[in-house]
Amino acid sequence: MKILIIEDERELAADMVKYLSGEQYRCEVAPDKDSAMERIGMYDYDCILLDLMLPDGSGLSILEALREQGKQDAVIIVSAKNSIEDKVAGLKIGADDYLAKPFHLAELSARIFSVIRRKQFDTANVLQQNELKVDLPARAVTVHDVPVTLTRKEFDLLLLFLGNRNKVISKSALAEHLSGDLADMMDSHDFVYAHVKNLKRKLTEANYGNYLTTVYGAGYKWKA
Amino acid sequence: MRKLLNRPLPYFALYALVLLACSIPVYYLVVDRIWLSELDEHNHIIKHRIESKLSETALNPQELEQMLSIWKVLEPGTTLELTENTIAPKDSLYTITRTTDFGGEMETDRFRGLLSYFEVNGQIYQLRTETNVEEADETLTAIAFVTVLFFVLLLLGFILLNRQISKHVWNPFYDTLQRLATFDLNRNPEIRFEKSDIEEFEQLNSELEKLILRSVSTYRQQKEFIENASHELQTPLAVLRSKLELLLQQEYLSEEQAELIAGISVPLSRVSRINKNLLLLAKIENQQFGDVENVSVLEVVNDSLELLEGHISEKHISVEKHVLEELQVNCNRTLLEMLINNLLVNAVVHSPANATIIIELEKKGFSIANSGKEALAPTKLFERFVRSSQSDQSSGLGLAIAKEICDRYQWSISYAFENGKHVFSIQM
Repeated sequence: MKILIIEDERELAADMVKYLSGEQYRCEVAPDKDSAMERIGMYDYDCILLDLMLPDGSGLSILEALREQGKQDAVIIVSAKNSIEDKVAGLKIGADDYLAKPFHLAELSARIFSVIRRKQFDTANVLQQNELKVDLPARAVTVHDVPVTLTRKEFDLLLLFLGNRNKVISKSALAEHLSGDLADMMDSHDFVYAHVKNLKRKLTEANYGNYLTTVYGAGYKWKA
Repeated sequence: MRKLLNRPLPYFALYALVLLACSIPVYYLVVDRIWLSELDEHNHIIKHRIESKLSETALNPQELEQMLSIWKVLEPGTTLELTENTIAPKDSLYTITRTTDFGGEMETDRFRGLLSYFEVNGQIYQLRTETNVEEADETLTAIAFVTVLFFVLLLLGFILLNRQISKHVWNPFYDTLQRLATFDLNRNPEIRFEKSDIEEFEQLNSELEKLILRSVSTYRQQKEFIENASHELQTPLAVLRSKLELLLQQEYLSEEQAELIAGISVPLSRVSRINKNLLLLAKIENQQFGDVENVSVLEVVNDSLELLEGHISEKHISVEKHVLEELQVNCNRTLLEMLINNLLVNAVVHSPANATIIIELEKKGFSIANSGKEALAPTKLFERFVRSSQSDQSSGLGLAIAKEICDRYQWSISYAFENGKHVFSIQM
């Protein structure tokens, strides 16, 4: 799957490429508006990561042009501005998601994962890993065709893991994924631990393949 | 505190009192002197008239004797007597006080007299002329009374004039004061004072304008600096974080190394948070978040509780909601969400396990209470980077943001420690 990263900060773009390339993604980078427009004109992408503050203009105009051309590439706005107005404007013009800088790469990867699946599989969006089936629109999980009841937070955690297979996910990335802005004020590492433990227990009771492992000192990893 | 204009009034009044009091004896002396000299003149005129009449009529000694006896009986304020002298002595003036009986009523009168001598038919006669003079104490009383009356009038005049002057002359000054009192650096940094035709006030106003202009520009620069600094920090922070995450993905990472990376990412998260909140504060200050709508406070509280649900149940905290009134406010939804989130998160974080959080919605505001051990310092609580707990996660800006949001809508936020509970109340 192809991803276009429109980002003028080279270091950050390079890190995104490095992280995402481990998955099944092929990444291209456009550091400014012109090169972005050129690439968008030539190719179709599964997902476009769009920085709003580009040296030669606002990223929003790229999004507008893209939608005017009738292209339905998934777009995630990645912005340092973190302003509500931009978020609203972006989603109105047709962005699929919005992520404020600085973000966790794990969070970015999970967002890309769910945006692409939503776009491409629509209602038949069922993810399968051996005995584990996850129906994303219905938010339902089965192991060996036996339903496993997860709380909302546990399901959200599972999505983060599935979007970052074979990656080490730090506790702080998990905390921010679970609490969003509230993680700002929460001492949430114990909270994360409790939820991961519950998720793991429920899946283990249903006899899944023990994909979720603890990486000592660092966090967790979903093996696939 | 007294008004400036009232300050000299007692001194003026005292000066007038002393001056008028001193004037009483002076007036008395002057009036008495005039009176006496007038009466002396009068007595002299009488003397001359009698003398000239007597010499004109040229009475013989018998007739004169007869007339004198009639004179004695009538006693018209003058006496005329024959003396043994051969040479007429000099005239003399005197003042005498005499008590007369007016049908049982004793009355003391003062008289001014002239004792004069003249010659008729070769004999020296003594003429005594006396005229009633007002007594000294009566004159004095009258003058004192008039003086007191004038003093009262003077005082009333001072007070009235003072009022008029303060009303008109000091108007621009009070106007300036009023404008300064309502001046808000955050809300409307423009200030214009009313023109005055009084030099001192004009000078005061122009100096104040200069001072305020300088303060406003410094304040603006500082705000811009914070905003720009946090903006500039965003990208390096993002790079730092992504590098750390990539580092975490390295194969054959030892547990020790992984722990080191996690140890870096915790403070890094905090820096990012502080930075984000500083930007947020700047945005609220800059009057962003302009969209205003009618928001139900209860709805926002419920949403926030839902977000916090996991943290609440983890600590076995129970939440009590007392909705006395379904409160609706006109404000920006995001800001109200932020305000309530911050207060609720605060309550959850600082509550011990199994505690109770009480949320009360009233007609004009709401309050959030959670149990605590001891009161916090209420004055510093809402300042930036004042942390009451040792929690490493807190950015120290949560309550500062809450305060900023309240200030923006002129709501009042207050803290109290009541019955072992920290209570944060918002009056809208």
